[in-house]
Amino acid sequence: MNGPVIHDAQTLPVNDNVNPYAFSVDLNGQWFLQKGKMVAYFGQIAFHGIGHGPLDRIIQASFHSPLHAQDWVVAEGHGRMVLADRAFDVNSYDLEEGNLTVRSGNLLAFEPSLALKQSIIPGFVTLIGTGKFVAASNGPVVFAEPPIRVDPQALVGWADCPSPCHHYDHQYMRGVLGGVRMLTGFGGASGEEHQFEFVGAGTVLLQSSERLMEERPTGTPPDEAGVPQGGTPSTTANQPSTPRLPGQLGDLQRRFGL
Amino acid sequence: MAFRLLNSRLVQAQVVPGQRLFSQRGAMIAYTGDVSFTPSITGGQGGVMGMIGRRVAGEATPLMTVEGNGSVMFGHGGHHVHVIELSGETLYVEADRLLAFDGSLQQGTMFMGSQGGVMGMVRGQVTGQGLFTTTLSGHGAVAVMAHGGFIELPIHPGRPVHVDPQAYVAHRGDVRNKLSTALGWREFVGRGSGEAFQLELSGNGTVYVQASEEKL
Repeated sequence: MNGPVIHDAQTLPVNDNVNPYAFSVDLNGQWFLQKGKMVAYFGQIAFHGIGHGPLDRIIQASFHSPLHAQDWVVAEGHGRMVLADRAFDVNSYDLEEGNLTVRSGNLLAFEPSLALKQSIIPGFVTLIGTGKFVAASNGPVVFAEPPIRVDPQALVGWADCPSPCHHYDHQYMRGVLGGVRMLTGFGGASGEEHQFEFVGAGTVLLQSSERLMEERPTGTPPDEAGVPQGGTPSTTANQPSTPRLPGQLGDLQRRFGL
Repeated sequence: MAFRLLNSRLVQAQVVPGQRLFSQRGAMIAYTGDVSFTPSITGGQGGVMGMIGRRVAGEATPLMTVEGNGSVMFGHGGHHVHVIELSGETLYVEADRLLAFDGSLQQGTMFMGSQGGVMGMVRGQVTGQGLFTTTLSGHGAVAVMAHGGFIELPIHPGRPVHVDPQAYVAHRGDVRNKLSTALGWREFVGRGSGEAFQLELSGNGTVYVQASEEKL
């Protein structure tokens, strides 16, 4: 590549990557996207917040995640739209009658033919149906097959396989030396005592780094980075945050710890 | 022992029984099979004396021992990774740039002053290496991290290579290095080129440079 490539409305890729860090959507109708991830667009596109306006039908059909309603908007119109997120690697994925669960902060946008639902694992959302979605990761995504144990911070998502469980590894804490180590802290921890374990058939998506992308607030922020519901109940949930939008369910879910 | 690059930031290592490897703590991304990660109290090889040596030298990076049977993926901080195969040579590298290495490699520390005396120590300060650096020698593979991509520059006798001290990552082989200065009156009136110090490597070997001047 010599210098920047100049694109116009016609030469921008159709539903493909412009470069590893930017993705171009050929919009003809509606797309859901996370707030602030649009960097440029050609054409006539309007961005509507979720929870009000003339979008009730599409939201009813494909948005089942009230906790994330504040983080999402609907892009409506015709044109080409470029998505990017803090120079993280961006990729699109096609689902065919499938399901895929992804960390809520990593999902950038999805077609309304997919339905977005909250995963029962806090901090993750599940996409069900047929269509295309765009997700970001710190470094290229690696696909792995179970059985596998994964660093919690490196997990991006998983498709078709059962939800993961925690795996704890304290083998070296046993014995006399292990006791001394545990009591005194001398020797430290390996930092790998805790993993997510996947079994069964499916695909696990990993990013190439254990540096986590910033999480979307989902009610109970984790204590340890990347561990869902690992910590104390959130302090932000009690604060009267942004003024509530009409049509939103309010803080009920957060009270129940969802 | 095989390190295999999965992409520019991720390396996969095969772990077989009886052969351990060392890796930076917390750098495991995922693994399959039966593998255990034990924090290495002494931070590598050489027993307690080796540990004291590394503590004194400031080259004691938190390491863990990886043992078992399976395959492990390593990556750290989104940094670029490069695999260097050693067959008898010595690799000079900063300890915090080590992502993982074979347990069969001999780990040691080297006093910068032993290569070039006082100028060697000045060089260590300028490159951010400090007074000591880590050496790995023997037969095996090392996964090294850098900010930005790796550039491998061969060094031939009579054709020294000059690199920016901040971009220097590691070198191997029979290499002499010295700090060359290009200080002039401009530097003293604040109109310097910003390239007053360079690392001059001569001899026979390879130097690895990162495509960035940012330290890890």
